[in-house]
Amino acid sequence: MTATPRAEVATPLPRPTGRLERFARRQGWVVGVAVLLGVLILWRSSQIPAFGAFEVRGIVAGTMTLALLAMAQTVIVISGGIDLSVGAMMVLTNCIAARLMLEQDLGPVVLVALLVVVVAMVLSGIIGAVAVVSGVPDIVVTLAASFILAGLALIVLDGPGGGTNLRFQELLVGGFDQPLPAALWLAGIFLLVWVPFKRSRLGIATYAVGSDRAAAFLSGLNVGRTRIAAYVMGGLFSGLAGLVTTAFTGSGEPRASIGATATLTSVAAVVLGGVNLMGGSGTLLGPVLAAFCLALIAPLMLGLGWDPNYAEVARGVIIIVVVMVGGLLQIPRRAR
Amino acid sequence: MPQPLLQTTAVAKAFGPVVALRAVDLSVAPGEVHALLGANGAGKSTLVKILTGVLRNDSGTVAVNGEPVLLRSPTEARARGLAPVYQDPALIRDLTVAQNLRLTGVDPADVRRELAAMDLDGLDLDEQVRDIPLPFLRMLDLARALVFDPQLLMLDEITAALPPDLSERVFAVMGRWKQRDRSVLFISHRLAEVREHCDMCTVLRDGRNVASFHPGEGGESQIVAAMLGEASAGVRDVARERRAARERDDEEAPRLVVRDLLINRQDAGVSFEVRAGEVLGLAALEGQGQDRLFEILSGNVRAAGGELLVDGRPLKARHPYDAIRRGVVLVPSNRLMALLPQRPIRENIAIPLFNRIRRWVPINTGRERRQVSEAVTRLSIDTRAAAQARRLSGGNQQKLTIGRWLAAGFRTLLLFDPTRGIDVGTKHQIYDLVRELADAGAAIVMFTSELREIGLVCDRAAVLHNGAIVAELPPTASETDLLTAAHGLEVTAV
Repeated sequence: MTATPRAEVATPLPRPTGRLERFARRQGWVVGVAVLLGVLILWRSSQIPAFGAFEVRGIVAGTMTLALLAMAQTVIVISGGIDLSVGAMMVLTNCIAARLMLEQDLGPVVLVALLVVVVAMVLSGIIGAVAVVSGVPDIVVTLAASFILAGLALIVLDGPGGGTNLRFQELLVGGFDQPLPAALWLAGIFLLVWVPFKRSRLGIATYAVGSDRAAAFLSGLNVGRTRIAAYVMGGLFSGLAGLVTTAFTGSGEPRASIGATATLTSVAAVVLGGVNLMGGSGTLLGPVLAAFCLALIAPLMLGLGWDPNYAEVARGVIIIVVVMVGGLLQIPRRAR
Repeated sequence: MPQPLLQTTAVAKAFGPVVALRAVDLSVAPGEVHALLGANGAGKSTLVKILTGVLRNDSGTVAVNGEPVLLRSPTEARARGLAPVYQDPALIRDLTVAQNLRLTGVDPADVRRELAAMDLDGLDLDEQVRDIPLPFLRMLDLARALVFDPQLLMLDEITAALPPDLSERVFAVMGRWKQRDRSVLFISHRLAEVREHCDMCTVLRDGRNVASFHPGEGGESQIVAAMLGEASAGVRDVARERRAARERDDEEAPRLVVRDLLINRQDAGVSFEVRAGEVLGLAALEGQGQDRLFEILSGNVRAAGGELLVDGRPLKARHPYDAIRRGVVLVPSNRLMALLPQRPIRENIAIPLFNRIRRWVPINTGRERRQVSEAVTRLSIDTRAAAQARRLSGGNQQKLTIGRWLAAGFRTLLLFDPTRGIDVGTKHQIYDLVRELADAGAAIVMFTSELREIGLVCDRAAVLHNGAIVAELPPTASETDLLTAAHGLEVTAV
């Protein structure tokens, strides 16, 4: 056997992708959802004679809970997990907050708010740790956890009740014609929590672990700790969702079905927002915009004079159509 | 004798009942390029994983520069100067290269320097990993390992997926390491590379080290004999004998005719014919459209134009099922893509059988079992890990991907690089099998990245370049001629 003959011609380097192509690939979906949202908002504003601060506040404050839950779900899905207990966590924190905040001054109420968020982070971290240590699939652990959390909510508050401080409400979701507080809170969380997180080593590790656990391990990452951190982060967002619910409704509501519906809607927002359910890719902005899209559907139908009971059907159809169109647009790229 | 850089003593590792390593004593001297050889399942990859801290050994010791070390994680192993390039790229697809590097605490600037040293500084590190072809990912993995400036560089089958010119750059790195009195542990199934570039080799068999010698001395036959053990020493070149004995019948109509098949719209088109009982070898450099060609032939992807005739009738497959019904079956390069990794051997073989049983009645399990066990015996698949296909070694998985079509029946077989990452012993079994299937009347198209297989197995060689067949050569054509043609150049002396 002779030596392998040397090649005279070099293997060409891969063609670099252009700036625009790269942007379209990485951010294309978010831009698409933003356009969809823009269209829906314009449509809605054309339905109402006076589209002003009151309506905007209604949309923003009313959707804030769902947007926060979508954030919670997004972080966990990106890390390769899925959390079916985000809704129950929101209900539980809502009940704890409503019970402890009843007839309190602003000072203690803020302290309670901080406590509630910490409780949510710790509980969510424990749920994540159970999934990581036991090796039981996330979907099983978090489903079981959703029953436990719903049960705890009923122990804290055995029926609708509790209350909160009016100033706290205005601080978080604004008065009836003040859209600014709610919008600022959402933007603030995005800029102060998500942006630094995404650029940090932990943020990159979260994407890495969700993309390929084995390769992440071989890169020297602590896979278990990263996954638990994603759950803690998710707990932060679901705890905030519970607080916003308390502020928006001014009371606590332990009904389990609220949590279950909210969980499923958060998954819908994640899918519509372009996050890969298998983990490893997606942005936080996409699901937040998607949450607003989903929330606009029922009022839109009302404006059209349709039976709003069909809103759920319309939501389902929109999710399927958008994801299908997005998938078709991506096919030529896969064929390369 | 100087103190060895790396010394393992009686290292053992078992996964439940399956013993991967029984007792391995490996000694790598400073300034040595040491080859680690062995059949599939001999324990090479397990040993590398132990040396890199991915797995913990059950017993035995690992010593670096004479000092016993405990390697509990990849990070600890790197701190000891042991850096690997694994068989599968350890880069995360959804991140950019630069993000991947930062994750492991590597400065992208350092990697750029290493790439420049390998003349690869044109690679854009802000590219997402999924957009970079596999060979360059291996080179990036190598550059990243080099940044750690390891005492011992471990290369697990790095050249398997590399075109020759990139392999040369890997060998250059190995030479540089040697000059600096550092060492390389090199794993490859390409014995020519081992003979040319390694100072020493250690052969593993059944989880033990059975021989250590200078690979240049004994030659290939000594290596193969050590790998396979006494019983199978002296592998005969059965394929070549069979081919010589075959009588060629030119009167017979071709089984598969490909006419001006366009892999991409702008290509010149691929044309060739294969008869029953014939093995057509396809040679090509990386990325000449061979992957897509096989996908088109197997009905997975539609051609941009051209014609495909099976037994004289056109085949317009919309789904692999259409091709399979006409007897055209594919054995893809990615074995785990073809198999059901979590299901037992039996089901893996039986799945294509169901194509034939198109009645709504319960499956005849007796008949199924008979056909499955026939296929297993015929291929001598090691059934110790029968419960899950993914636990089989690479060679046994490859036999299984062929075996499932054996039980189901086929007339035209498309083999895409069937021996990639398979040990020499199993390779020869597969060569024999291919010839046997051809003798039994199958028409076979085989793409191979190892050019010498053309001479060993095939009746004719077609060379694919840029989406077109640029040359048809006899199997006796030299590797230089094949390579020249593969670069799209004129072959002068045939």
